[in-house]
Parts: sequence; structure tokens; C-alpha cells
Amino acid sequence: MIKKILLILSTILACAFAAQAKLNVIATLPDFGSLAREIGGDKIDIIVLAKATEDPHFVDARPSFVVSLRNADALIDGGAELELGWLPPLLQNARNPKIEVGKPGRIQASQGIRLMNVPTTATRAAGDVHALGNPHFTVDPIIAKAIAQHIAQSFAVLDPPNAAFYDGNYKKFEATINAKLQEWGAAMLPFKDQHVVAYHDSWPYFAHRFGINIDIFLEPKPGIPPSPSHLTEVIAQMKAQHVKAVIVEPYHDRRIAEKVASATGAKVVEFSQFPGGIPGTDTYVKLIDTLISRLVAALK
Amino acid sequence: MNKFILIGVAAAALTSARAQDDASKPAASSDVESLRQQVQALTETVKALQQQVKDQQAAIDKTNGTAPASSPNPEGSPVAAATSPSPAASAATHFATEDASVVSSTSNAPAGLPGPGVNANGTATSGSFPTTDTSVVSSAPETISSTGAGASLTQPISIGGGGKNYMNISFDGLFALAGSSARDLDHIEVGDHDPQQRGFNARNIELAFDGAVDPYFEGFANIVFKLNNDNETEVEVEEAFLQTTSLPFNLQLKAGQFFAAFGRINPTHPHTWDFADAPIVHGRLLGPDGLRGVGAQISWIVPVPWYSQLIFGVQNGRGGTGYSFRNPGDDGMFFDRRTTDRELRGLQDFVWIPRWENSVDLSPTQVVLAGVSGAFGSNETGADSRTQIYGADFLYKWKSANAEGGFPFVKWQTEFMYRRFEAGRGMNESFPIAETFHDWGLYSQVLWGFKKGWVAGIRGDYLDKEDSRFTDDFERQSRSRISANLTWYPTEFSKIRLQYNHDFLYENFFLADRDVDSVFLQFEFILGAHGAHKF
Repeated sequence: MIKKILLILSTILACAFAAQAKLNVIATLPDFGSLAREIGGDKIDIIVLAKATEDPHFVDARPSFVVSLRNADALIDGGAELELGWLPPLLQNARNPKIEVGKPGRIQASQGIRLMNVPTTATRAAGDVHALGNPHFTVDPIIAKAIAQHIAQSFAVLDPPNAAFYDGNYKKFEATINAKLQEWGAAMLPFKDQHVVAYHDSWPYFAHRFGINIDIFLEPKPGIPPSPSHLTEVIAQMKAQHVKAVIVEPYHDRRIAEKVASATGAKVVEFSQFPGGIPGTDTYVKLIDTLISRLVAALK
Repeated sequence: MNKFILIGVAAAALTSARAQDDASKPAASSDVESLRQQVQALTETVKALQQQVKDQQAAIDKTNGTAPASSPNPEGSPVAAATSPSPAASAATHFATEDASVVSSTSNAPAGLPGPGVNANGTATSGSFPTTDTSVVSSAPETISSTGAGASLTQPISIGGGGKNYMNISFDGLFALAGSSARDLDHIEVGDHDPQQRGFNARNIELAFDGAVDPYFEGFANIVFKLNNDNETEVEVEEAFLQTTSLPFNLQLKAGQFFAAFGRINPTHPHTWDFADAPIVHGRLLGPDGLRGVGAQISWIVPVPWYSQLIFGVQNGRGGTGYSFRNPGDDGMFFDRRTTDRELRGLQDFVWIPRWENSVDLSPTQVVLAGVSGAFGSNETGADSRTQIYGADFLYKWKSANAEGGFPFVKWQTEFMYRRFEAGRGMNESFPIAETFHDWGLYSQVLWGFKKGWVAGIRGDYLDKEDSRFTDDFERQSRSRISANLTWYPTEFSKIRLQYNHDFLYENFFLADRDVDSVFLQFEFILGAHGAHKF
């Protein structure tokens, strides 16, 4: 019995020491987790709360998340109310002053980002509209760079001995994105100003970056499931604008998209906002690579 | 005025540097290098000028006796946003978006969306795809201050609509249309917020407030209005408490009026329940209003690798919300005893409420949570009568890895409770005998969210009350119930629920057995702050 207790205690102590060696980083969403990995490399331990394949608006506030947050040196969240339904009770229970808003351990990705589609009047008659603006911003590589820089600077403050390492990783990431942007921009250039349909309004930043219009949605209003009458309208609009692609995410009902696509001759393209949400996208760059190649294939 | 001229000069300098840089792109790399150095030099100049401006401003402010301009005052942002020009205005854009130390870009989304081949200023970039875009990202901060309150990137975005109030306010209306084969529905339904009469019921109309009190506390309040069967409004201060945010050693302290942390149902508000009414065991052992009261509670997250929390609460336990404890009962009677209704004599008259809960993730899609609770105190049926309640609860939840809106899921929840109640001889030993009741019960419910917004549920209830030859209180009747329901959540702010209950009330010494069928149509709306969903 005593041996057992000693074993457990030593495990706990070992965990505590291991935690000191590396920065314990929690990311609410997989996109922030992926950027943190780019910057932190092997100098951090990272836990991502939401799964890449699930709806980020509705994640269960699991008790195990409380344990992760309690031990965190840094928390990266969106700061734009995407996690509003599940993060606040976790933080209340985690009682970790290091990750309070305003502390260097709290990295809110939306800081310094100009959010799009900020509603002029806040009414839920418009559906699940976020008062601070559209929170699906990481899919714009230029914004991803800013978030990565923010993460690098915060890590440098939290872990000064490795500041140069984090800065170097940011510079590498920045250079990769800058080079990749030429490639992605060139690939998308032939489709400038084309209209693309999406299930949910998760793509304004992506569309803005690559010069296309993702402005027709299968959902009549954000968060409201597609209704037959709305889909009829969408089909008419798609025919009028010769839309060739319908974007769905892993947690959307693909059958609805298939129906609309088959009625209009468009193709269903599976997209994900999150690295890991679709196969072969374990890093941010691979994710955007995949999104671009899938979209190009559909629009050709 | 001085400041604007200086910034204007700096902006012009930068603009010209940019223009030169753009124009000389095809030139030899040595030229590029020299230009880069020039730009570097100009940047240094600009920084120096900025510093001068800041210093001057600080000096002016000092003489005026106002706060320094460089303070991270959010009131500065609207001014900056107002003067921040649209991306179309080219020269000024450089000025406004390059100076990260002054401007945290908080204006609305850009009006014109530059596409490929066009940079943020609307000018062509001769084939190269832009890698920066000042219309979406405010210029990079030079430093992140360690307090998180210095540079622009660490400033919270302050855009109208959210995060600007000192508290969240929400309003919740929960109504039910009830039909039942029983005329005395208020005796069949055991919870105070359950439907209490045939026809329409408005038993839970709730105002909820929460927010940070200061850097040390968070405050919560739930004020409930309910309409009784004569349509008179009754008000309950259901909860009003503060909670610490930054105690060391994973501790958290809570004080005020609050629901006791006993089991799964008791600490939650009726509008979050999965059924239109309270489980029988909850209503009969903890009380129609649940166990809540004025008190204090400390909780500790045990430093083990899984979730393990110890909670220890203490409450007065007096009155109807301390039902099995110091409860004088209706008209001064409880279990047919004339109650003593005395003042607190000592620590033994408080209700002491320990709880230990543990949770592990069985897999990325499956979670279990199990807890044990207790509530110990004295009751009013005798000079030294005690009550002990023990509880055990279990929750299993599966949620799809591809969940949309939190669906599909399966949730199984069970609670067991046992109460030992020493029923004394009442005030002045007026009742003939003293008895000890051993009562126990449980409920088990399964909820299946089969499609976004749709949940089907079944629940079984059982309550075993020790028969007494001396007490003919109708609440001392063993009973069971089966319930089935279907709920539609159009969004997380509204719901419509249809529920069927079949109740079996068993014969005892004083009461005959009977069966009751009931149907409820429950509807709810929520206004205001987005409620977070606790697990």
C-alpha cells in the first residue's frame, strides 16, 4: 500500500518536473495548436482541446480539460467568441492565474486582427452571428503569420532562454508562408471573382485572400440547418452564377451538399478550417496546400 | 498639433521609401541591399520621431495632470479607429497601419477586398502575390510587454456588441402546458419548478447575472420569478454568490446563496435539465427546491493526472430549501410532527456537504464522470434528531468525433440517494413515538441526440420510503415513474419538449395505490448573454 502511494507520489513529482522543463501550452482549437507547434517545436508540450473534425462552436467542456488548463503555462484561444459556449466554465474551474486574460500566458489569436463581417446590430434573428465579427480567421495565411508572430513573442516572454529559438522558427514559418503565398496566389488567379458555395460562413478570410467569392451558404442563417425552400433558392443562384464547387466541413451533413451539387452539376469539396480535419493535413501549410489543390481541381 | 506634423513627416518619409523600394525591384541585388539599408535608417528615424512625440505628449499630459497617452487605455482605440482611413486612401494608410505603437486597428472590415495581384493599397504588384495585408492584420508589434498591456497586439479588440459590459445578463423563460389524469398534479410532480397544475404553468422565469467582480472574485446571481397556481408572482433568490479566481494550490472558495454540490441534478438550474420535471428521489429527499442555502464552499482540484475534485460545503440548511434538515415544514408540521424551528445552536446544526468527483476520458469520444456526495445535519422533528443523506452519481457521454452543433451524442446519467432521517417526537415531545426512516431511491436516464437539434430521452425513477404506522404524510409514499420525451432545440436559445410520464404510487399504511398519466409540452426561450454549457 505504502509502496503504491510512493509510486503515485513520485509519478506526480516527475510530472511536475517534466512540466518545468517544457512549456505547457494548451490550444483551444487545432489551428492554433498547429501554429504553436511550428513555433514551439520540441520546446513545448501542446494539448489541443477541440478535435479537428468537430464543430468548434459546440465542444463539450470535459472535466479532463480542466486538468489540462490547470497545468498550463500558456493558453491560446481565438478571443473572438467562437469558444464562448464551452471555454468560460472550464476557465472558471481551472483556477490558473497564469492564463487569465491580460497575463503573458494568455494568447488571444484575434488580437491585432481586423475581424470581418462585424454585425452592425446584434440580433439573434440573424442566426448565430458573432458580435465581434467572423471568428474563422486562421485560414488566411497572412493572418496565420500574425498569429504565429504573436505566439512566438509570447513564448519568448514566458521562456526567455529559448527566445531566439522561437523567433527563428517564426522567421522560418514567415518565409515559408511568403513563398507559398506566391504559389497559392498563382494557382487561384485563374478563378478570380468566381462564386463558390459553402455550407457555413467559415470562409470569408480565405475568399478575401485568394480573390474568390464564398458568399452563398447552404445554411439559411449561420447555425440554422438548411431548409428545402432555402436550398431551392441556393440552387437557382448557383445556376445563375455557374457555381462549380460546394464547400463542406467534416462535421456538416455531406448528403445535403451532394443533393445541391447534383442538381447544379457542381462538385462537393471537403474543406477543413483545422489542420488534421481532412487527411494529409497535419500542418498548417499542408492544410492550405490541400484546400487550394482541392478547390482548383473543382473549379477547373 | 506638433504631433500630427511629426507623424505626417514620418509617414511621407516612409511612403517615399516604399515607393522607391517598389520601383527598384528589378534592380541588382546590391541596389536592393542599399535600399534596404536606407529603409532601415528611415525606420530608425521614424522610431526616434515617435519617441519624441510620445515624450512631448507625456510632458504635456504631465502639465495638464492627465493620464499619459501611452497608457493602454481602451478609450484611445475609438479615436484611432475613427481617424484610421480606409484602405483605399493610400498615403494615409501607410501612416495609420504602420504605426503599431499608436494604433490598434479596430475599425470594421475593409470595404474593398483586395484580391491577388493587388496589395492592400489597391495598387498592382506586378505579378507577385502580396504577403502582407494591413487591412486584416495591424502592423506587427515591436514588443509584447510582460504585463500584456503594452503593445497593440495584446490589446483586446474592442468592437461594439460584445465584451464591453461589466456583466453578462440573460433572461430565461420556461413554460409548460400540462395534461394529467391526476387533479392534484402538485402532489404528483415533486419539484417546485415542475408543472404544478393542469393547463399552463410558468414556474421558472429567471434573470441571470455573472461577471468579474474585480481581479479576485467572480459574481453570479439567479433570480427566479414563478407564478403559483393562482397566478400570483413569487420571487426566489435562487443563487447569489461570489467565487474566488486566483487562490493558490488549486483551491476555490465560494460564498453566498448557492445550490449544494450534491450529485448531478442538484447544482443545476431547472432549465438545463433534460426532462420537464425533477427526478422523484431528488424532489423527495433533497427537497422540492433542491438543497440550497446561504453558506460557503471550498473546492480543491486534486493534483493527479485525471480530473479529481474534492468539494466541501456548509450551509444553514434552514427552511424549505434545506428540506430534510432544519425545515419547519408547512404550517409548522413535518412528517406529522410539530417542528421546533429553533435557532442555530452550534456547528451540528449546519448542513455539511462533502463531495468527491472524478472523471476520465475513455477515448477521444467517450467521457465518464462519477461522484459521491453527502449531506449531514440536524432536523426539526426533535431536540436532537439528525439527518444523513448519501448520494452516488454516474455519467457516461459519447459524442461523435464529427459532431455538428454538439450532435449526435448519447448520454447516460444515474443517481442514487439514501437518507437516514431521525423523526423525533416533535416540539415538547408532542408526537407519540420517535422513528428512524431509511428512504432511498434512484433515477436513470438516457438521452440520445440523434440529429442536430433533436434529443430523445427515457428515464426511470424509483423511490422507496419506509412505511410508518404513525405517519400519514402523503409524501411518505413509495413510488416509481417512467418518462419518455422528445426535445427540439431550434437553436441553443430555445427549446420545445414533449414529455409523457406514467406514475405508479404504491399502497402503504395510510395511502391507496394509484396510477397517473401526464403529458407536458414545455417551451423555453433565452435572451441575452450566451450561456456556457457545463459538462
